[in-house]
Amino acid sequence: MSEEQRANALLPTNEDTCGPYFPIYFGDDSLEDLTRIHSGVVAGASGQHIILRGRVLDRHGNLAHGVVMEFWQANAMGIYRTPGTEGHPDIDPWFSGYGRLRSHSGEYSFCTIMPGPAPGRAPNITVTLFSDGINRIVTQLFFADHPANDGDPLLLGLDPEDRDRLMARRDGTAAAGAEIYRFDIVMAGDNETPFFDDLES
Amino acid sequence: MTKLGRQLGIGPTDNTSDQRTPRKRLRLIPEAVRESFVPVVPARAVTRQYEWDMTRISPDLPRADGDAIEVSGTLRTADGKPVRGALLEIWNANHYGRYRHVEDHSGLKLDENFFGMGRVLTDYDGTYRFWTISPGAYLARPDIGRWRPKHIHLSISGGPVRLITQMYFPDEPNNATDPMAILMGDAFGRNMGKPYATPDIDVDQGYRFDIVAGGRNATFFE
Ligand SMILES: [Fe+3]
Repeated sequence: MSEEQRANALLPTNEDTCGPYFPIYFGDDSLEDLTRIHSGVVAGASGQHIILRGRVLDRHGNLAHGVVMEFWQANAMGIYRTPGTEGHPDIDPWFSGYGRLRSHSGEYSFCTIMPGPAPGRAPNITVTLFSDGINRIVTQLFFADHPANDGDPLLLGLDPEDRDRLMARRDGTAAAGAEIYRFDIVMAGDNETPFFDDLES
Repeated sequence: MTKLGRQLGIGPTDNTSDQRTPRKRLRLIPEAVRESFVPVVPARAVTRQYEWDMTRISPDLPRADGDAIEVSGTLRTADGKPVRGALLEIWNANHYGRYRHVEDHSGLKLDENFFGMGRVLTDYDGTYRFWTISPGAYLARPDIGRWRPKHIHLSISGGPVRLITQMYFPDEPNNATDPMAILMGDAFGRNMGKPYATPDIDVDQGYRFDIVAGGRNATFFE
């Protein structure tokens, strides 16, 4: 934005907490499992199926019940589906890269595919959290032991402890062949997950 | 990294805010990876035909208790462009301050004619409109007698626009002491519905709520 555009910009509506009662009614199975479109339909995303599992914890180590989690990732070829990649030959028509769930307990499970590495990046998934008591907070998770992690510009800017806090760790294989990864988020306190500022950055 | 981003505020008298607000300053995102932090929400037409009228469960059922209101306005980005086809997911408490949500254990009265959840899409000009029942205020902290003022929750998504917010009502006695309003400070007025008369439609009052999706994310892919 130029100075002039900034001066003329409309003042943004304040973000606000989603409160404790984000409607479960708004849940959508197709946003909680990005590997398939709908049962009974011969269509699904390309790539290695993975299940991301974990807990969202508060400052006291208690489960943060009622959190809404959103996920955003590249497809198996490392391409994000954005207006900028429209028509790209490696777009997967069966994969949007956007997922959402609400967790009653604070434990979550999200089915997706392993993102490919975008140019210059290690494979990652952006996670947005909404919950009672806070506005939107954002982080990015990575996959432990992936060789590209050593050169990822986001990870390189963090100290080793914080880098470690962004690693999803392999935890076996599900019956249907999906690889299971664990990733806990600590919203506040000693072992706090690093969160990123997408308003000021 | 030398420079850091915002320090998030903790809502006074809000226990959950104390438990869940990150204590460290947010980290700035390096320019090289900035774009990867912009989710693009696919178009989702998950609305049902009668959901825009939350004053009754369906057209063949009676009106819920309380005042019927219309809420309407525009959704734009900070540079004034309308956001078309965005999904608004709306929820609010009934006239008695109760949500029809399995985790609302307040014991307040449920209204058998009120569902309290609806979805609408913005049209070509970025405008939207829905009807609902004017929500009751509810006691959020019985231990210290803190009320949440009347409010309507809105979750807005479409393309790079993603925003969860609340619309408040002018001149409500609990507005000044609300922890979220206190965190907003002078900007609280932007989240206030502006009353208008509704002589020609079957509601008691209208509220205009123009929504501006701020931040760089909303205008990233232009
Ligand atoms: Fe509420």
